[in-house]
Amino acid sequence: MKSYLTIYCLIISCSLLAQGAAKYYTENGTVAFSSEASLEIIKATSNKLVGTIDPVKNTFTFNLEIISFDGFNSPMQKVHFNENYMETERFQAASFSGRIIEKVDLNKPGVYSLRAKGKLNVHGVKQERIIKCTVKVEEGKIRAQTKFSILLDEHGIQLPKIIKQKIAEEVIVQVDAELEKQQM
Amino acid sequence: MNGLGKIWLLVFWVVAANAQKPFFKIHELGEPFQKAIPEIIYEDNNSALWVGTTEGLFLYDGIEYRPYLKEDSTSNHVRSIFRDSKDRFWVGYEDGTICHLARHRLVRWSIEEGSPKVPVNGFTEDAKGNIWISTYGEGVYFYDEKRLYNFNTDDGLLGDDIYVMQAAMPDQIWVGTDRGISKCTFSNNRKSIENYTSQNGLPDDIVKAILINKEGQLWVGTYDGGVALFDPAKKTFSRPLPDRHLGIVNCLEIFEGTDLWIGTQDNGLWRYSLAQGDLSPLPSLENAKVTDLLRDIEGNIWMVSSTHGICSANRQFEFIPTDIENVQSVLADSKNRLWIGTPNGLFAHSADRSGANSFQQYGPLANLNTTSLYEDVFGNIWIGTFGDGLYIFQPNTGAVRHLHTSNGLEDGNILSIDGIDDRVWIATLGGAMEITYDQQVIQNGDLGFRSISRRDNLGTNFIYKVFIDSKGRAWFGTDGKGISVLENGVVKNYPVAKHEHQEGKSDEDYQLHAVYSITEDKKGGIWLSTDNAGIFEFDGDHFTHLTVKEGIRDLEITSLATDANGQIIIVHPTGLDVLTPSSKHLIYYDDEVGVHDLDPNLNAVCTDRFGNVWIGGKNKIIKYTALKEDLEIHPRTFLNNVSVFLEPIDFEETTVFSHQQNNLVFGYLGIWYTDPQIVKYRYQLTGYDLDWIESKDRQATYSNLPSGKYTFQVTSTENDAWADEPIVTYSFEVLPPIWMRWWLIAIVLGAIVGLFYLYQKNRDRRIQLVNLLEKDKVESQLAALKAQINPHFLFNSFNTLVSVIEESPQLAVEYVENLSDFYRKIMQLRDKEIISIQEEIELVKNYAFLLEKRYGKNFKLHVNLNGQQTYIVPFTLQLLVENAVKHNIISKSKPLKVDIEMGEEGYIMVKNNIQPKLTKEKSTNFGLQSLSQRYKLLGNKKVKVEESATFFKVSIPIIE
Repeated sequence: MKSYLTIYCLIISCSLLAQGAAKYYTENGTVAFSSEASLEIIKATSNKLVGTIDPVKNTFTFNLEIISFDGFNSPMQKVHFNENYMETERFQAASFSGRIIEKVDLNKPGVYSLRAKGKLNVHGVKQERIIKCTVKVEEGKIRAQTKFSILLDEHGIQLPKIIKQKIAEEVIVQVDAELEKQQM
Repeated sequence: MNGLGKIWLLVFWVVAANAQKPFFKIHELGEPFQKAIPEIIYEDNNSALWVGTTEGLFLYDGIEYRPYLKEDSTSNHVRSIFRDSKDRFWVGYEDGTICHLARHRLVRWSIEEGSPKVPVNGFTEDAKGNIWISTYGEGVYFYDEKRLYNFNTDDGLLGDDIYVMQAAMPDQIWVGTDRGISKCTFSNNRKSIENYTSQNGLPDDIVKAILINKEGQLWVGTYDGGVALFDPAKKTFSRPLPDRHLGIVNCLEIFEGTDLWIGTQDNGLWRYSLAQGDLSPLPSLENAKVTDLLRDIEGNIWMVSSTHGICSANRQFEFIPTDIENVQSVLADSKNRLWIGTPNGLFAHSADRSGANSFQQYGPLANLNTTSLYEDVFGNIWIGTFGDGLYIFQPNTGAVRHLHTSNGLEDGNILSIDGIDDRVWIATLGGAMEITYDQQVIQNGDLGFRSISRRDNLGTNFIYKVFIDSKGRAWFGTDGKGISVLENGVVKNYPVAKHEHQEGKSDEDYQLHAVYSITEDKKGGIWLSTDNAGIFEFDGDHFTHLTVKEGIRDLEITSLATDANGQIIIVHPTGLDVLTPSSKHLIYYDDEVGVHDLDPNLNAVCTDRFGNVWIGGKNKIIKYTALKEDLEIHPRTFLNNVSVFLEPIDFEETTVFSHQQNNLVFGYLGIWYTDPQIVKYRYQLTGYDLDWIESKDRQATYSNLPSGKYTFQVTSTENDAWADEPIVTYSFEVLPPIWMRWWLIAIVLGAIVGLFYLYQKNRDRRIQLVNLLEKDKVESQLAALKAQINPHFLFNSFNTLVSVIEESPQLAVEYVENLSDFYRKIMQLRDKEIISIQEEIELVKNYAFLLEKRYGKNFKLHVNLNGQQTYIVPFTLQLLVENAVKHNIISKSKPLKVDIEMGEEGYIMVKNNIQPKLTKEKSTNFGLQSLSQRYKLLGNKKVKVEESATFFKVSIPIIE
């Protein structure tokens, strides 16, 4: 039993050396969110998602400047979003980092349905989440797509009752990012 | 004691306890599911058993398996089954899918976080109601009804391959992995994990089974290190089990206070006795690959194995086979040795390590016809024989003392022995004896004898049984004269069972004949069995009789005994009945638990110091263990389907049927795993059946139910006694057909009454109308007459006539003729309702002639009507002309002009210019009003009156 483990470890470390520390990287992933309340639909998009996926350790990190969201219904709405709700000056970025639950080789081309387990930091509050995503691996490229929900009160975003007609308590987030392989 | 005897002793007492084993029966999945390999078994909170196999999920009712398969094509290989406190039913599969079973359908559990991709092999629920899900490959998931969280090696879990998961109070979850055990908690949004491995004393890091006992300790079954006990408070492991090679431990199950069952991968099923500390394999199941164990609510132990399928045994009954047919007495002594008395002497039981049993005849006491056995306070065995008196025997030394009629006994035929402290009573065919002894009894110490016989008021001298109760009273079962009791040196005899006479109850006092067996319940009530009248409970004053009616199924009762829980064990040739004294509830045990062909001898029973009851039968000794768990004593009754014209309906929702849905079938089930075939049902459709209907069928059919409200009630029994069985009910209503419903009938009745009322009202109105018309006509005739014989008119007419006579007699004649014509016409026309317009015009012209003669050119009537054949109410036009004359000035400067001509469609118009008199003529306004009224009554168009500053116009409808 134990000798098998040693051999296995050896093989793993060899393959690590062979591949070097190649990671997938992006700095222009798309993040769109929508909040569909009874009175108003708020939508905005950002193309500034920065992230890496380590195909060896199966870990990932994604980071997004909140101020980069654009495409609101009005300039006023954007100001509200940043000042009143996201408090962007205090909490400048949202992030999600962790590890992929499935043991899959992300250097091997194919389409995978994976679950990423990690800490989602929005509005300065970290929540552990499992986020289901579709990952398409091509030669030197990974395209990751996902859609998940964020509950505002889970992240300490308090809304007066009256505002709840305008901003849904559940926000749907869609991510589409293409990461390219880079030697680091 | 010679050397041979000592050798015999050495060989003898290797191990005798726990050589008995329960009777396992196999529950095959059956023909359609032959390929399915059962792997897990689960008892839900309704005490129904579910089996997970490689081919799907099955519900087992004791008779057949009902399959539940997924509706999509994903794997049906079930790895885990769970019913939570919210009654959600969870099923985990090999392919990582999770389903809920709801309304007999498996529905995929879908969640934003996605399902695992590896086998889902366990569910549990913590005290806060959170669901925990274990997987083989992805660690543990935690679901708080909102989100799914994961615990894996990244969080500090020892491994992602979880073998077993158990919930402990209050919210700890224990998991077994390849690298030890982990305790997981999740509170205030924080995960915490504590790990225990071989470094903490765990015998082997691979943990495949965890069982948490009542004290909160963990029994841990390992891959290679057997079973250990972990104390979470002290965080220490101990290894209480003897060192035997178990191999891979797959599963554990416990009967609290009694034994721990161990299922292994390669070495079958084992049992560890918690009380006595020994570990032994179940002989016939040595090779079973055991994958799951379960203790059910009836006290059965279930084993699932890939080699033997699904097996169960009733834990309460264990058996030691023997080739001895005629067991006359049984004794399990304080050293856990088992003795049996036979016509061929005393035998002692022994078993080797493999569990093989043997009974050795003890040489020195061979060939004694042994009828009764008793162990005294010094560990001596007292042996009563048939004809050869009493032997006292010390098993440790082999010393024997013999008592017979020659040295103190009254009679040498001893049927029963019992005792307390330093006294023993024996029951013989020549009365009873009380023997006082001390520690030296075996070394020929002094004995005190007291004989008790008919002379002392004992019923007879033929005594079957002596029993010493908790108060130190000696009870004697006599042959023919009931029961006698010795209390404070005085014997009292009860030959007649006197019942407590309650009002309305007419139990006859019962003449007791032979009393065969006696025992005592926990409350001090004495129970006795008779030769053929069942059993009696005696509270010191009155007897309560239990016989066939109360559920005693065999009156040939040979023995009674009381177990550790205070229940009465009734032994008879058909099997065993267990009676709860307080409720008088009986449970029958026979073939299904292995009790059959018993052929028991009188009082061949004993209760050992643990409260276990040993029963001697033909070729077997039965050990009955009173389990400490609360066992279910009733079958669980379920209504499992309702069909309307053979079409199943969702009966949990539907309780109202139309009058056409009146053919109903109720399917029900009584689950009694101990003996599924024995279950009988009783049902009643209240509102239809006058009484309960008893049946073995598992469905009841009702066709052509009339409309009404009904309640279907069903109950099941395993012992023919219905009194205390829980009842399942289903209330429903068959609606009357639409034409029979009260509201429709009410509406129809209402409509009929309404219509009749309207008709009546209409008729009244018409009659009234006719009457009114008649009255108006008469009034108007009267008015017209009055007007015409108005003295003023006559005066004026005569004045005019006088002036005309002088001027022109010719004209005067004409005037008089006109005047008389006018009156004649009034006379002619007054009775008619309508007249032709020409007649009316004639009349008006007569009238106008009279007026023209009076007013000269100052009055002008102009009639312009075409010759239509139309009708009019008499005097209408005349009245209007008269009105015009009456109300207006007629002078040379203001002449009055009256026009009669065709008005608008269907009207005749009478129009005059207005020049009101200065002094208004007194007017009753009667004329015009009466005219309008009459036209209204005739139902024609209305009379229209128009008035302006210059003219006055009345339009009269023409009657066609």
